[in-house]
Amino acid sequence: MTVIEGVAAPPPTVEVRPREVSRRERWQRRLPLLPALVYTVLVTQIPFLVTLWYSFQSYFWNTPSPAHFNGLSNYKTVFTNAAFRGSLVRSVVMTVTAVIVAMILGVAFAMLLDRKFIGRGVVRTLIITPFLVMPAAAALVWAGPMLDPNFGLLNYLLQPFGVHHVAWLSTHALGSVIVVMIWQWMPFMTLIILAGLQSQPPDTLEAAKVDGAGAFATFRELTLPHLRPYIELGILLGSIYLVNVFDAVRLMTNGGPGTATTNLPFYLFQQVNNAFDIGGAAATGVVTVVLTIIVATFALRMFARVFQFEEGGV
Amino acid sequence: MSAVTLRAVEPRPQKLREMSAQVGWGILAWVLGIAFFLPVLWMVLTAFKPESAAQTWPPKFVFSPTLAEFRLVFSGWGPYVTHSLIATIGSTILVLLLGVPASYALSVHPVGRWRDGLFFFISTKMLPIVAAIGPLYVIALKAHLLDSIWLLIILYTAMNLPLAIWMIRSFMLEVPRELLEAARLDGAGRIREITEVIMPVVSPGLVSTALICVIFAWNELFLALNLTVTNAATMPMFLISSVPQEGLYLAHLSAAATVASVPVILVGWIAQRSLVRGLAMGAIK
Amino acid sequence: MAQVKYVAASRVYAKDAPPAVSALDLDIKDGEFMVLVGPSGSGKTTALRMLAGLEPLDGGRVEIGDRDVTFVHPKDRDIAMVFQNYALYPNKTVAENMGFALKMQGVAREERDRRVREAARLLDLDDKLLDRKPKALSGGQRQRVAMGRAIVREPQVFLMDEPLSNLDAKLRVQTRSQIAELQRRLGITTVYVTHDQVEAMTMGHRVAVLAGGQLQQCDTPRQLYDNPVNQFVAGFIGSPAMNLQKVPLTEGGARLAGTTLPLPLAVRTAAKQAGLTELVIGIRPEHMHLANGAGELPGEVLLVEELGADALLHVRLAEVDSPVVARTEGRKSPAPGQQVTFRVQPDDVFAFHPVTGARLAG
Repeated sequence: MTVIEGVAAPPPTVEVRPREVSRRERWQRRLPLLPALVYTVLVTQIPFLVTLWYSFQSYFWNTPSPAHFNGLSNYKTVFTNAAFRGSLVRSVVMTVTAVIVAMILGVAFAMLLDRKFIGRGVVRTLIITPFLVMPAAAALVWAGPMLDPNFGLLNYLLQPFGVHHVAWLSTHALGSVIVVMIWQWMPFMTLIILAGLQSQPPDTLEAAKVDGAGAFATFRELTLPHLRPYIELGILLGSIYLVNVFDAVRLMTNGGPGTATTNLPFYLFQQVNNAFDIGGAAATGVVTVVLTIIVATFALRMFARVFQFEEGGV
Repeated sequence: MSAVTLRAVEPRPQKLREMSAQVGWGILAWVLGIAFFLPVLWMVLTAFKPESAAQTWPPKFVFSPTLAEFRLVFSGWGPYVTHSLIATIGSTILVLLLGVPASYALSVHPVGRWRDGLFFFISTKMLPIVAAIGPLYVIALKAHLLDSIWLLIILYTAMNLPLAIWMIRSFMLEVPRELLEAARLDGAGRIREITEVIMPVVSPGLVSTALICVIFAWNELFLALNLTVTNAATMPMFLISSVPQEGLYLAHLSAAATVASVPVILVGWIAQRSLVRGLAMGAIK
Repeated sequence: MAQVKYVAASRVYAKDAPPAVSALDLDIKDGEFMVLVGPSGSGKTTALRMLAGLEPLDGGRVEIGDRDVTFVHPKDRDIAMVFQNYALYPNKTVAENMGFALKMQGVAREERDRRVREAARLLDLDDKLLDRKPKALSGGQRQRVAMGRAIVREPQVFLMDEPLSNLDAKLRVQTRSQIAELQRRLGITTVYVTHDQVEAMTMGHRVAVLAGGQLQQCDTPRQLYDNPVNQFVAGFIGSPAMNLQKVPLTEGGARLAGTTLPLPLAVRTAAKQAGLTELVIGIRPEHMHLANGAGELPGEVLLVEELGADALLHVRLAEVDSPVVARTEGRKSPAPGQQVTFRVQPDDVFAFHPVTGARLAG
């Protein structure tokens, strides 16, 4: 018997009314958002607008003359100022180095913590502690009891390796600050990667075992691709916080020696606190914001996956 | 049925190899964990030293402990810790008050342009606060908010709100759709929906979020440094003030650092699971 | 040769707990399609994983070919496995999924591609799909990719862990026959785990029924159906299930529904030898013949399930607590509430020991 595939009458045309969320419903949905939205706009955008305003003014805190308009002169200073460019470069170096090393260490630690062993919970507690320590405290403790040339613990521990009373904050200032940044942010990376590792479906790992993949091949072919969105998230969030690091710079080296460890936040701090140059600081601030927006746009395009927002809604 | 004969007593060579590998990784994890924790350990240890014992070569691991430095710290910390508590708790409460409804509006019954809304909040985090510190100072001065605890509360709230909204939103997305639909069929209005359906499911997530806000607010230095002097000076400021310009006071600064850090460390340890879950899960979605 | 042997293989999880797999002895011939079937917790999946090398053995050994593979790493056992949830690599394309094992073996790219394409053709997987990732595929397609991944390896043994359980009913029936035919064509020894006895009966050359970690019976489907070795197998194989009822022994037979059901001499002798006063009898639904008034077993129809060609009657027999099921022709089925009688041939009655469940005089 021949089989006649579903012959049916063509479906009647149905007129579809455009779906309309009622006006009332729309405002009902917006209402809960408004307090936070208005608050954030007021507290973040007003200062920014004021910054923009002042960037076109010459305004020195320590002179009696009031602020007066001076056009783009502040901006010109910013772009020709070697100190600004230097601090920019240093910010990039510090952030990129710290983020990458912290992420690599984070992956390594997460892989270690993913296995079962005695006291796993305790080790995890130990590892997240640097993230909890007050950054100001961490900076002071590293600068003093840890790295002191004469009494510091690090010099003592490295003695067997031929290290003698190194003045870390003088000879390796940038490195020292970066080490503290890494120390504080590696736990954050570890936790994110650990969540990623634990969300890997175990039967794909078994399938890989049966398919003949050793530990290294499994990591390279399966685990790393699975971890990619987590790594990207860690790098993005870590960068946002690390680029603004201030405490370690101020309290360990005060930007020095010279300007060896001066990053953007510290440079701005100096402009306001030492130079009392509100106008100049404002212009620097605006340039910083613009640069941040450019970098962020690139970063977001690269890390598009991070922003595949899950849509809610009933 | 005959009883099952289990493996003989001597472990087979292969199993021994596997077991020793596992123990090996465990030991490595412990060594690295302790190495990482060492600076904190050293900080607490040094805090109990008299200054003379803190400045020795080689550094002392055995000494007669004293509470002298701690006494000094506690004699001076009063106003600072009060300000920190008020700023931290105040801003965290405000963050939750503003953040929960906002997250609700971006997840369960999303507004039309929720993507833009979410992006706006995140973008405020990306712009460095340092850029506006000069003008912020001027604004605060003109508004008579300089050196005021209210200023800190306001700014810390703005600082933590984006992260809180991101996290709370992801927790709200976890509420099963069927639960919301069942509540709707049962006649629950918006308020009832929030209090009886969403809050119970989301409250562990709120705890995680609050913890992270507390950590960032308590530890914040930059704004406190620039915008306060005495009336609103917080613990980070206290820490700086305990390090005189001249002279090395390793034991004293260790004691101050310990006292300043311990509250958050303890809170983080106790609520570790919640914190880990919040960071990992809240951030991932 | 790729015969598979389990020799007294055991797996125990906790020291004092009953074994998950208890001294399993199973001989699987080269090229045979062996189905391991049983309810959940019966140990069938554990037994499969022991063969795969994903679970260690706590007793006994496993052999593939003539090799003792008990301590051999999964990748060196020359096996391929299809997982219940497919376990496809999410970040790889279909082609990369299927070629992964070959890549691990160091097979050259052209050879890999050739074998992948061949397997895809065999499974009716369109070439277009080869470049897609698993999440872009339907459930049925993913299942075929999982099978393709196994086929490409040309192993000595196929292991399949409930590969059809995640498919919808219609697709399941379709794929069932495709798998059976594929196995016939390739001739590779296959060990197949399922909880569905219909799958077991239709696909396997032989079926091993497991319960509580122990092998109940290993036989051809026909033998399992006609000659179950104990009550469990009798009640597990066949759908709808055999009617089982504990009844007292009487002169010449057993008392059921107010009458004496005659039992064969061999059964009566075996029961007397075992000193039994009662036993469990089993009658398959199709052996309950409707006899209009002339049957020995009276009862009332509770429910009629129309299947089209047949009908299933749920009947409450006199003096019997739980309803029994009888199969009749669809067109002539009685209505609910009607009084009916049944006739049963003595040879169609199974008898089991009331305590051990063993078949009496099978």
